[in-house]
Amino acid sequence: MTALELAGAVKRYGARTALDGVSFSLAPGEALGLLGPNGAGKTTALRLLLGFSRPTAGGVSLRGGDPWRPSSRRGVGYLPERLVLPERMRVARCLALHGSLAGLRGADRDQEIAEVLALTGLADRARERIGNLSKGLRQRVGFAQALLGRPEVLLLDEPTSGLDPIGVRDARTWMLAARERGCTVLVSSHVLSEVERTCDRVAILHEGRLVGSGPVDELVAPGENLEDAFVRLVESAGAA
Amino acid sequence: MRHFLLLSGEALRDAGRRRIVIVVVAVSLLSIMMIESCTGCEMQVNGEPRSLEAFAGYTGAATYLVLGLWCVVLAGVLAAEHLAQTLADGSANLTLSRPVSRATFALARLAGALCIALITAAVLLGTTAALLHTRGGLAIAPAIPAALAVALGAVAVGGISMAASLALPRVACVMLAFFLVAVSSIANLVTLASPESRGAMFFIDQAGPPLLTSVALALDPWFAEVTVQAHAGSVWGRLALWALGAPAALALAFQRIELGR
Repeated sequence: MTALELAGAVKRYGARTALDGVSFSLAPGEALGLLGPNGAGKTTALRLLLGFSRPTAGGVSLRGGDPWRPSSRRGVGYLPERLVLPERMRVARCLALHGSLAGLRGADRDQEIAEVLALTGLADRARERIGNLSKGLRQRVGFAQALLGRPEVLLLDEPTSGLDPIGVRDARTWMLAARERGCTVLVSSHVLSEVERTCDRVAILHEGRLVGSGPVDELVAPGENLEDAFVRLVESAGAA
Repeated sequence: MRHFLLLSGEALRDAGRRRIVIVVVAVSLLSIMMIESCTGCEMQVNGEPRSLEAFAGYTGAATYLVLGLWCVVLAGVLAAEHLAQTLADGSANLTLSRPVSRATFALARLAGALCIALITAAVLLGTTAALLHTRGGLAIAPAIPAALAVALGAVAVGGISMAASLALPRVACVMLAFFLVAVSSIANLVTLASPESRGAMFFIDQAGPPLLTSVALALDPWFAEVTVQAHAGSVWGRLALWALGAPAALALAFQRIELGR
């Protein structure tokens, strides 16, 4: 069973094609970096995988099922690009709510919350209102809620957005720790170096089409780094 | 069910923080003060003192109807934004990335908005009934099914307003709630006044939610000389259908939409 899969996924919004026959899949425990310029279709791919929208054509599966069904989203952690958290809620209560929605109960939930608070450096912020936190700290709360319940699949959309260099390093540590315990990770990002360090493979989207995919060392030509390969693939797709 | 309770608790907290709640509390306090004043005054007709008992039936029913319909409108106004806002700012996405069904989420948001309207209804209608009972001698029993009719009407109008908010802007949904309550109440009133008529108002009365008819029917014992001419089974059946149908339509509509952001 694949952890997640897009199979020839097409998504059109009226006349605009956001995704045009994109296919990729991840086996349990794999990590894929989804790269592409703005408007390439990265967030659309994540939205299809989470069941926020349906593909116009093609197939999508999450943990072997239709992501539209709530049961397929069990064991999935998600950090959106545009994170909106309830401003008046305290950090611990927000995590308690998401822990409960993720299926955690009682002492297990409290234990899990204490662990993610400590992991994300928020232990001393648990009683603070989210509205009083800086952007970077809110992003940490976003990570904390995504990591709750030890998810089997982690979908991260621009995860290091708003984080300072220490936060970026911490985020990398959390992603690698999740991978080490067998979690499947899909990271959509503009930060190529982050993707290179945390993922086995990358998939490069341009104008809704997959223009390159595979292990980083296979995509990168001799003398190139990932950034060079990314620019080459996107420009050659644009020229075509 | 656990997810529904969790999310409706959050939805109620969200609803309680909205600025409109301050207006609702102020209007409710003014209404209670007005009712307290009106039921406590001494009346004279042609210079002769009259007790409240002589007028309590009609004025009590009219007051109860106006307050009840205001609570129904309030449910529509609150529901017009309560789900749409979470979709517009993207906060719904985080919740719906969890194993939570869309129907659960939408109905929890509706429950949160309705709680404010129903608490307002309970306070306003309860106080009115208590004052009319103690000062006007009206029986309290008819006020209970009347309050139930208001609650069912609030569920119907709130559900319609929230379902409409998935496609229409907030202002349009608020206007829709006002329009729905106004038109159906006028149609109910016209049909109650002339049961033999078979015009457009009769059709609206039969097809729309019997918001006014159901409350008037429940308060029938308060009217001294007039009997409300309506078939109780049909009125309560139609009201129940609307109160079940509107949330079902909301859940169905929310199941089909694509989430933004």
